[in-house]
Amino acid sequence: MAVKVLVIGGGTGGTLAANLLAKEFAVEIADNDIQVALVTGSKFHVFQPGLLEVAFEGKAPDTIVREERPLVNRKVAYTEERVERIDLRKQEVLLASGQSLDYDYVIIATGSVPNPDSIPRLREASLNFHTSTDESLRIWHTLKQFEKGRVVVGIAGVPHKCPPSPNEATFLLDDYLRKTGKREHVSLTFLTPYPRPYPAEPLSKVVEPLLEKRGIEVVTFFNLESVDPRKKELYSLEGDTIGYDLLIMVPPHQGADVIVKSGLGDRDGWIPTDKQTLRINGYENAYAIGDCTNIPVSKTGVTAHLEAKVAVNNIVSSIKELGKLHKYTGRINCPFEVGSGKAAFVVGSYEMPVKQIEPTRMRQLMKKGFERVYWRSLSGSLDWLLDRYFGETDTTENMS
Amino acid sequence: MMEAQTIIKPETIVKPTIIDSRGTMCPGPITDLFRAYRNSNLGDVLELWATDPAAKSDVQTWAKRSGNELVSINDEKGYVRIQVRILRKGVSR
Repeated sequence: MAVKVLVIGGGTGGTLAANLLAKEFAVEIADNDIQVALVTGSKFHVFQPGLLEVAFEGKAPDTIVREERPLVNRKVAYTEERVERIDLRKQEVLLASGQSLDYDYVIIATGSVPNPDSIPRLREASLNFHTSTDESLRIWHTLKQFEKGRVVVGIAGVPHKCPPSPNEATFLLDDYLRKTGKREHVSLTFLTPYPRPYPAEPLSKVVEPLLEKRGIEVVTFFNLESVDPRKKELYSLEGDTIGYDLLIMVPPHQGADVIVKSGLGDRDGWIPTDKQTLRINGYENAYAIGDCTNIPVSKTGVTAHLEAKVAVNNIVSSIKELGKLHKYTGRINCPFEVGSGKAAFVVGSYEMPVKQIEPTRMRQLMKKGFERVYWRSLSGSLDWLLDRYFGETDTTENMS
Repeated sequence: MMEAQTIIKPETIVKPTIIDSRGTMCPGPITDLFRAYRNSNLGDVLELWATDPAAKSDVQTWAKRSGNELVSINDEKGYVRIQVRILRKGVSR
């Protein structure tokens, strides 16, 4: 009987995990000793950082979307179908068609989903660049018609994926308004529940003077309670009210429906996961990576990429009986665009608080350059380069 | 030994909701506190456990700004316990 390794989810983490497993077990797969399978509910794979460019720079949506199947190694048994339920005790996954898949090892990479409906009337009131290419394109078309008034950009609730993106959206919007000569007729407000414009203080020290220089008002400690689209007003749990003419808020996120339905998540659908080994609590053969976990790091593509490698290494170690336990260091490395063609990075780990990194033109070029190599990075073929860049992201210890 | 900065009258004591954010860096603790705030009722006491040094000042500032009551800050071995009583929470219009 072949050892079956199943990956659930075709985003950054899931796709990379399946491809790394296929490379690692190429011989065993050919000999039918191991089967690597990927199941995904989506035909398409979106390069999500590009959604900002669609929304605020008018980038064509089709340039950031590819079909998932060609991104996955041919040795991987690929299924394009929605997963209905995951049973970790029975080691079984039920698909929408009624078919079930069993496994010996599983990696869950089901991501996070925006949940605008958790805040009354947010969905109808606000545009949103976190959901889809269509939603992002709606922002671009709306901006082209928008001439004057107050734009409020911000964070509607926590947690949300890609922590820098609300700030990035504000800076890119400011760029757009200046380029089109509309800025003097538009007031721009950044709204956040956090104590400062960027939650981590070292980077906030970089961001605050830039916001001030650009005349962007910052409102902190605003936990959005509800919106009145008719009055065009926002209300906070703290009791404050703010008006707007155009609203662009990042909704709070939650775990995928299948995690909630399967009873695998906490109240918000995040899977309780060991932050180092990435094993789902209570299971030796089940791993969770990327946005779907409850571990205390940013929900970003880079995090999913680095976690995929740790989970795969642990599965390889188990199957090959190498006696090694791999542990994720919590390394994060998020590009942070601040407009005017410059970017910083959010760099930190479990042991290292976020550093203060100044924005430069070079860092923005690195961000843009990564867009070009993203698709190749999903195959795992660039890890020799990325490993040098990221440094230590995976520590290893001998199992007793 | 714990040393509460504020003495709470017995009739006002309610069982606190514990929010264990130990081991998370900023914004982990304040994020967890806000998630609990969203699900709280007036009069509830939220007790945040945090190892992140920024948690103390962040919660103090938030409580002051939002009109919620900072009940106590206790330094424990390797972490801090911060209690906030919810006195202000907007209602849907």
